[in-house]
Amino acid sequence: MKFKKAAALFLSLAMAGGMLAGCGGDSASSQPSTNSGANSGSTQAAEPGSEPVTLRFSWWGGDSRHAATQEAIEAFMDKYPNITVKAEFGAWSGWEENVSTQLMSQTAPDLMQINWNWITSYSSDGSSFLDLNTVSDVVDLTQWKQADLDQCTVNGNNLQAVPVALTGRIFYWNKTTFEQAGLETPKTFADLMAAGPVFKEKLGDGYYPMAMGEYDRMIFMVYYLESVYGKPWVTEGKLNYTEAEIKEGLDVLAKMEQEHVIPTLKKIAGDGADSLDKNQNWIDGHYAGIFEWDSSASKFIKAAPESEIVVGEFLSDIGDYQGGFTKVSMAFAISANSEHPREAALLMQFLLGEDEGAKIMASERGVPANQNALKVCTENNLLDANVSEANAKVMEWCQFSLDPLFEDNALKSNPDGVYYKVMAKVSYGELDTAQGAAELVSGITELLNK
Amino acid sequence: MAVAAKINPKTAPATSKKNKRGKLERGYMGWFFILPWIIGFLIFKLYPMLSSLVYSFSDYHLFKGISEWGLMNYQKIFSDPDILRAFGVTLKYAFITVPLKLCAALFIAYILNFKIKFVNAFRTAYYIPSILGGSIAIAVLWKSLFRDDGLINSILAVFGIAGPNWLSDPNWALFVISLLRVWQFGSAMVIFLAALKSVPTDLYEAATIDGASKWKQFISITVPMITPVIFYNLITQLVQAFQEFNGPYVITQGGPLNSTTLISLLIYNRAFKTYEMGMSSAMAWVLFIIVMILSLVAFLSQKYWVYYGDEDGRKK
Repeated sequence: MKFKKAAALFLSLAMAGGMLAGCGGDSASSQPSTNSGANSGSTQAAEPGSEPVTLRFSWWGGDSRHAATQEAIEAFMDKYPNITVKAEFGAWSGWEENVSTQLMSQTAPDLMQINWNWITSYSSDGSSFLDLNTVSDVVDLTQWKQADLDQCTVNGNNLQAVPVALTGRIFYWNKTTFEQAGLETPKTFADLMAAGPVFKEKLGDGYYPMAMGEYDRMIFMVYYLESVYGKPWVTEGKLNYTEAEIKEGLDVLAKMEQEHVIPTLKKIAGDGADSLDKNQNWIDGHYAGIFEWDSSASKFIKAAPESEIVVGEFLSDIGDYQGGFTKVSMAFAISANSEHPREAALLMQFLLGEDEGAKIMASERGVPANQNALKVCTENNLLDANVSEANAKVMEWCQFSLDPLFEDNALKSNPDGVYYKVMAKVSYGELDTAQGAAELVSGITELLNK
Repeated sequence: MAVAAKINPKTAPATSKKNKRGKLERGYMGWFFILPWIIGFLIFKLYPMLSSLVYSFSDYHLFKGISEWGLMNYQKIFSDPDILRAFGVTLKYAFITVPLKLCAALFIAYILNFKIKFVNAFRTAYYIPSILGGSIAIAVLWKSLFRDDGLINSILAVFGIAGPNWLSDPNWALFVISLLRVWQFGSAMVIFLAALKSVPTDLYEAATIDGASKWKQFISITVPMITPVIFYNLITQLVQAFQEFNGPYVITQGGPLNSTTLISLLIYNRAFKTYEMGMSSAMAWVLFIIVMILSLVAFLSQKYWVYYGDEDGRKK
């Protein structure tokens, strides 16, 4: 009996203890770092072969990115046997929510792949990510262009992340479908508008020269307006376009729907796909064009294996200016709470700047912004030809940069962001373009004034 | 008397003390046994609930902290068209799914209560959706079934019917989400099945002798006898309907035009996409109060329609 009581008591205490341990987490990892932070400057140099260290590294992406990154991690661990890297990866859906809560609860991984605007969203005061100037003896910052690093800098000189790649939107055309319609891929906006009725007549109602979701439409509209008016969308926290100008952009989108150039948002929602690359109508060529990130080239091309997908040209007749923007597509950052910032910096340098890592990673995250990685990949012919071509065209054409708040969740989240709401309401006919423009200006201005 | 004489007056108090100590120990042991639950409840339920109540009176932003206290969130809830719409959609969703699900569960349970061949296989088959139903995989399957060129519209096309735009038409999208919930009637069905088995067979025998049809027997005997279980299922399904998240999150993300943005999805979006923790907490508390009021109404109504028979068969 006594034994039973003792056993029951032990089990109860063990369960309670287990729960408490679960809540508390690893004592080592939950302790605030004493040798990290933007201004500490007291980190100890990591020497290969010294004490064992475990790093956490997180990223989002598709299967090929996961495979390449894991291979690169293996190579890193072979080079630095004392460092073990725990990979945390997954698809984009829900990733930002995951990382933001990790940052808030100070449980973020040591090294993170981040979206560029997360610097503004989560670390505008430089508190969430390590100032990489403190590890500049480990990460060779001279291999990035200063202008690119400036985009990741806050408070004057606090470098929060290093860019992995720069990107912008460009057209991709399904040449096979255009040929079936007896057309060449569009070189001008007039070509594109003329293709709509031809597609409808020759191929049928279900065929469109192009397809754009809510956020694609927003970016296309900005590209259109920048081409016409030559003004950046936002500068110094101020929206540079009037309601009348934005109405003009919404009118263009409405006309594209009417002329059968793009399907309505109702049609796209009815396709039941999470994104255009997973949409059966893109896969089988019913949607023959997209306006997408240059770094997404291979994803869209692989999604339509039966068709010849080509990288398009920027449409030359929209206006007098070369509209469209470039931005840091994604960046690598080290958590300000990392207990091993120098080891994390070693991993960062290996993946983005060293020959071995760069060769493995190649253009899985776009054309490398690190000049050494770019040189190594170019010399060894490792860059995806389509990604490379698309990136070159974007960098050559686009004259505008992007305000980080453009991608704020209050604007671009689905379905509550202002962009989504306005584009959907206009496409479904719930608002006319004037009302849509007013709602867009109001939502953007409210965010910029916060 | 003889027994009393045998009791040693010195040992008697000691035995009583021992018994008392034993009782006390058993009491402590009970607390030890429920200690894990108590700790879990305090940390994972009570603390977050109280925190959210406090936060609901602030403008708490996950990354910007708190700069203002007051009733502004509650005032905004009753003036923000998106929030009001989400509450409206949630009520609509609950009033579609709960009756449909209860009817479906009761109907199938009634059929599976008959002595038919392979009844256990049928019971298992009907129960499976409630195990799988809440999963992401099923939500994805649902999406592909109801897309414009999906299986449902393809079948309708065979009969010459042009199916609606289930997922993209604001008038149909909520129905698709509701149907996913209704399809998961297995657990309610199992509870109904147990209740049906407990209805005394002599009532049916008497009714059959009096010439009552099966339908009359169902309405006049079965339903009244299982009203306590109907009531139980009503309350649990109502609470679950107001908490629904997975279906709209995976199938429609709340669209089109927010026609499937249930309040739980809006709370999630405001909390984890725009980090308005104060506002999300306030919405969660308003939802809690609505569910509590509806449950209270259901409880108050039971004296009019729920039959609790005692051993004598008299109504309590």
